[in-house]
Amino acid sequence: MEWEIPDSDEKFSVDLTEREGMVTTTSVSINGIINDVSEIRISKAGDDSRIILETDRGTRFAHVAKIGDKWWIHLEGEVYTVNEVEKGSKSSDRSAGGLSAPMPGTILEVMVKEGQRVREGQPLMTMEAMKMEHRILAPKSGEVTSINFNQGDRVDMGATLVELGD
Amino acid sequence: MFPEWMKEASTPFSSVLVANRGEIAVRIIKAVQEAGLRAIAVYSDPDRNALHLEIADEAVYLPGDSLVENYLSSEAIIQAARTSGAQAIHPGYGFLSERADFARAVVNAGIVWIGPSPEAIETMGDKISARSRMIESGVPVIPGDEIAIPEGSDHMGALASVAARVGYPLLLKASAGGGGKGMRVVREPKMLRTEYEAAAREASAAFGDGTVYVERLLTGARHIEIQVLADKHGNCIHLNERDCSLQRRHQKVIEEAPSSAVSDDLRRSMGESAVLAAMAVDYVGAGTVELLLSPNGQYYFLEMNTRLQVEHPVTEMITGIDLVQKQLEIASGMQLGISQDSIGINGHSIEARIYAEDAKSGFLPSIGNLGIWRPPTGPGIRVDSGVREGDEVTVDFDPMLAKLIVHAPDRISAIRRMDNALSSFVALGVTTNIGFLRNALLHQSFKSGSITTDFLDSTPITEFDPEYSDPKTLVSIAASAKRLGLDRSMNSVSYTDLDDHSGHPGDPFRTLSRRFP
Repeated sequence: MEWEIPDSDEKFSVDLTEREGMVTTTSVSINGIINDVSEIRISKAGDDSRIILETDRGTRFAHVAKIGDKWWIHLEGEVYTVNEVEKGSKSSDRSAGGLSAPMPGTILEVMVKEGQRVREGQPLMTMEAMKMEHRILAPKSGEVTSINFNQGDRVDMGATLVELGD
Repeated sequence: MFPEWMKEASTPFSSVLVANRGEIAVRIIKAVQEAGLRAIAVYSDPDRNALHLEIADEAVYLPGDSLVENYLSSEAIIQAARTSGAQAIHPGYGFLSERADFARAVVNAGIVWIGPSPEAIETMGDKISARSRMIESGVPVIPGDEIAIPEGSDHMGALASVAARVGYPLLLKASAGGGGKGMRVVREPKMLRTEYEAAAREASAAFGDGTVYVERLLTGARHIEIQVLADKHGNCIHLNERDCSLQRRHQKVIEEAPSSAVSDDLRRSMGESAVLAAMAVDYVGAGTVELLLSPNGQYYFLEMNTRLQVEHPVTEMITGIDLVQKQLEIASGMQLGISQDSIGINGHSIEARIYAEDAKSGFLPSIGNLGIWRPPTGPGIRVDSGVREGDEVTVDFDPMLAKLIVHAPDRISAIRRMDNALSSFVALGVTTNIGFLRNALLHQSFKSGSITTDFLDSTPITEFDPEYSDPKTLVSIAASAKRLGLDRSMNSVSYTDLDDHSGHPGDPFRTLSRRFP
């Protein structure tokens, strides 16, 4: 089992030992390289999502739940997610390599043509999702190498809308 | 059987149909029940399991796949009132709340309408007629040129010349718009066509009316709104201001009362203008006069919302007046029974809107299952929620999940109370804006009380970034939790069956064409 943090290419693996309901992290590898960790001990607090987290910074409570394919963590007022991936599987980051639909919706307008050069920040498409219009902007300057949808098309979240070359 | 408090009422009623959903339906249903009346909910398919129908005394199903067929259908709602024998209708906010034709249909059906007259809704609902009525009544309006651009053929020539007269930057607004829909800022002439087309599209899609008009954009202004209450006997008072300057793309994010920019003199003056505005349309019920306060202390009429406002709780907290209870009393024909002199300000209140949206990806709405939903509790903390733990958040409706409201003796302690409440608000399974709200609240500009309406749109999002946490700690928590078996403790639906497109369990065929007005 490997772990991923959103917006990061790093893959983590974790070695654990368990004794009397307390799980201790003995090491964390990042992209196969073992990192030293100061001791992290975790145990359940009740039969709920609440856990007790003991580190060198003291004892804290956190909430953890696996919902969908993600682990959700509420720690000191902030929420984090961690993805669980099968060892050796492809990254679950679907946005790699192109411009993907940030959410399901419908394409309202395509503002560019294949082969056209665009500036960073230039609007490429307009899509409608829920109740608002969203503009898909070029994340960098470059040439439009492929346009994968037309006006009126329905797109799923993560679908690659436009591909940009250099 | 009418409740005891209604014995003097000229148009008493014993049941209320709440023509809405989500947190506001819950809020109103509770108030209706507290008043000793029967509360009737309505619901469409995606709401079969919703909180508002669980708490109602009775629920009427509205068929149809799109909002236009159910929550937005006058006929369907009035039919539901007939079926259930409801004697009054409360529209909440959004949906049909500001539709004069609906108010008229309710009245014509012999049902008590909990709101202002159809004529008042009509006059205030059309920005152009509202503006001219305000000019007649001596209420200051935003400098600009009035023009109606009818929908249909190309009007770019006329629009461009009006835009040039008004001057850039300007605001294009759908005449029937509101809530940030159909409203576009145009900073330079070459963007006029694009923005006009987008505004017209949004407006016609959301309101069934594509009319747009032009107004000078005031920069560095604050959004101050005055709550008014008026009865059917000519009594009208105001309940102080709310400061809603913290906005993103014209959608309010955090609201508070009172405003740190409003002195006692200014409050009196704004309050008098708001009462004047309400009286100009013979307003009845609870309404809100929105004003823009410019940096030089001048204020201008923006619009009047002829309904209950999302942020009404902050006014309730500082005045101790239950606005929904008052709406029920007024609709039954009772006297207001409160004098302007008796309205005070007790402490400070702040409201934060909890949205299912992801600040990191441009505030896109998020979907999923609210596997863990633990709102904070404690003295001075109020949560108006439309959801409960385990609920699905789908693309069908507006992504607002709840409102977190705090009340404290002064502004600084209210900010602290809100910070604590937000950080102990545990919502897992759906990305929310809670972290963003907390960082916005603690931003120096908010703490110092100097927020203007352009603050959020002009401040880099990185200033609201969440605190960094060591990824090694996070993956350790996840891996340990898995070892402890926490992945099996959730006994909700199987998430692998969730449709990626809609967020519905096992239903890939729902349309996306639903809109919350």
